[in-house]
Amino acid sequence: MKALVLAESLDGQRDLCAGARQIADEVVLAVVKGAPQTGIADKAYDVELPEGEAAENAVAGVQAVYDAEQPDVVLIEPTPRNKILGGMVAAKAGASVISDVASFDGDTVTNMYFGGLAEMKQKATGAKFYTVAATAFQPGEATGTDTVETIAYTAPAKALVLKGTKEVPREGADLTKCDVVIGAGRGFAEEADLQMARDLAAKVGGELGCSRPLAENVDWMPRNLYIGVSGLNLAPKAYFALGISGQMQHMVGVTNAETIIAVNKDQNAPIFKQADYGIVGDLYKVIPALIEKL
Amino acid sequence: MKIVVAVKVVADDQDIFVSGDRSLDYSKARQIISTYDTNAIEAAAQLAADNDGTVVAISASTTKADDTKVKKDILSRGIDELFMVADDSLETADSYATAQVLKGIVDANASDYDLILCGDGSADLYAGQVDVQLAAALDVPVINEVTGLKVEGDKVVVERTLEDEVEEIEVPLPAVISVSPNVATPRIPGMREILAAGKKPSSVEGLAGALETKVEVEDIKAPEMTPRKNEIFAEGDIDAFAAAVAEALK
Ligand SMILES: Cc1cc2nc3c(=O)[nH]c(=O)nc-3n(C[C@H](O)[C@H](O)[C@H](O)COP(=O)(O)OP(=O)(O)OC[C@H]3O[C@@H](n4cnc5c(N)ncnc54)[C@H](O)[C@@H]3O)c2cc1C
Repeated sequence: MKALVLAESLDGQRDLCAGARQIADEVVLAVVKGAPQTGIADKAYDVELPEGEAAENAVAGVQAVYDAEQPDVVLIEPTPRNKILGGMVAAKAGASVISDVASFDGDTVTNMYFGGLAEMKQKATGAKFYTVAATAFQPGEATGTDTVETIAYTAPAKALVLKGTKEVPREGADLTKCDVVIGAGRGFAEEADLQMARDLAAKVGGELGCSRPLAENVDWMPRNLYIGVSGLNLAPKAYFALGISGQMQHMVGVTNAETIIAVNKDQNAPIFKQADYGIVGDLYKVIPALIEKL
Repeated sequence: MKIVVAVKVVADDQDIFVSGDRSLDYSKARQIISTYDTNAIEAAAQLAADNDGTVVAISASTTKADDTKVKKDILSRGIDELFMVADDSLETADSYATAQVLKGIVDANASDYDLILCGDGSADLYAGQVDVQLAAALDVPVINEVTGLKVEGDKVVVERTLEDEVEEIEVPLPAVISVSPNVATPRIPGMREILAAGKKPSSVEGLAGALETKVEVEDIKAPEMTPRKNEIFAEGDIDAFAAAVAEALK
């Protein structure tokens, strides 16, 4: 069995190649933006992208790798660019990409349905394309050769034109490495009130994260700090959910937390069914009192 | 300018319950516009208003979506006309299959489109792939994660927000663009819009042929939940709560 890995980040390249080894005996890597790492796949393809071009314009190069290698399975790092590049190649093969695969059982793969409310077991009837994170595999070492083949750039007929790029500085801690995480939700009425959550974080040696609406509908928190099915997946020792209702899309991001602590003024909020310790009360009173008593 | 927006109608997940055998019980759940498609609808409506355009909504959904309330909800958000294909095989249809149905609707009713907008991902499958599949089927360019759009002649210039960079990209039209929820805040339709929606044209058809699926669904089951202690305190019991928290943090 042969696996083609389409990855963008350095970690993604290494982790998916290591994972691919667990389901395939031959691993090929294709990278569009930047040079591929060597020593992690049996063969790597450097899919050329001229400076200043949009990554999506390199789809012909990815297609060329697919056509040359005829892989049994394509493992795609789930980035927006790869969703387009991998999705286009899948479409041409008359296949669908199965997204965010969490586990493999031969050709049957499992992912989430309704944001984690259920798990869906499914099987691609033809060509197999999966977006997948490293966590779907056992930890393992990536092995390989130094062979790199370059695929020359072919512009698409209707190309995108990249007019500019602006870096967004990373803010906040790497929550995946924190023992204690404080999650703030829409129960906070004002951005300034988040200071209370920060004070609690300081008190308990934790870092602040949030539910998706706080990073998106209002820009109170950076996008890389929201927790849940489309955001971070964490396994801290303790997770504090402050003014978070406990919708499944959020909670799947903390199912592996050792202890879940909830503050919510609505006793019927779903969060309480998923909490170890909860208090039914106004967070504006509970948090200052809790900081004082801890 | 002619804008198309793709809208999925799904069960409201707040009212989907887990049965004893861990299957999903939809009997209490009403049909709603998939959350992030409301942002795409709003972006389409605003773009049409700013560019002297029209917006049609297209939907590939189950027969439950053929529901007056949800159809009116779609049409009360600045949409001029709705074309729906409804068949129960579309419930868990993969993105290839869904895109083929949407292409059929576009070819038959809106082949003169300039732009097709899709949402960030549907509440059920959240694959973020129908946009790509639809673009491939129609042989037009596609871009995703778009947080802002500006029409410039026969092009749209988009702001695309990725995790650590923001790109400005010029997309030649016609094209398929999927937008992030940030792109526009959905309106809350008033009584007047809802009444007017009832008079707008909408059509619902069945599938023309059998659905051509590429993924076979074997099983849908709720996972076992991590067991939790569920010790819930009243606001007055802050001392006991604080003690429990302190113990857990040790
Ligand atoms: C496809 C899809 C993907 C999604 N992905 C994610 C994801 O990855 N992560 C995520 O978080 N969400 C995600 N969501 C959104 C998710 O469904 C919920 O809408 C969101 O998590 C709710 O955030 P919240 O709990 O902060 O807000 P709400 O649901 O509005 O809850 C606010 C809570 O605060 C409580 N409250 C209000 N005032 C106070 C007070 N003074 N004191 C105490 N409590 C108070 C209320 O009782 C309520 O329970 C996704 C949705 C979809 C459709």
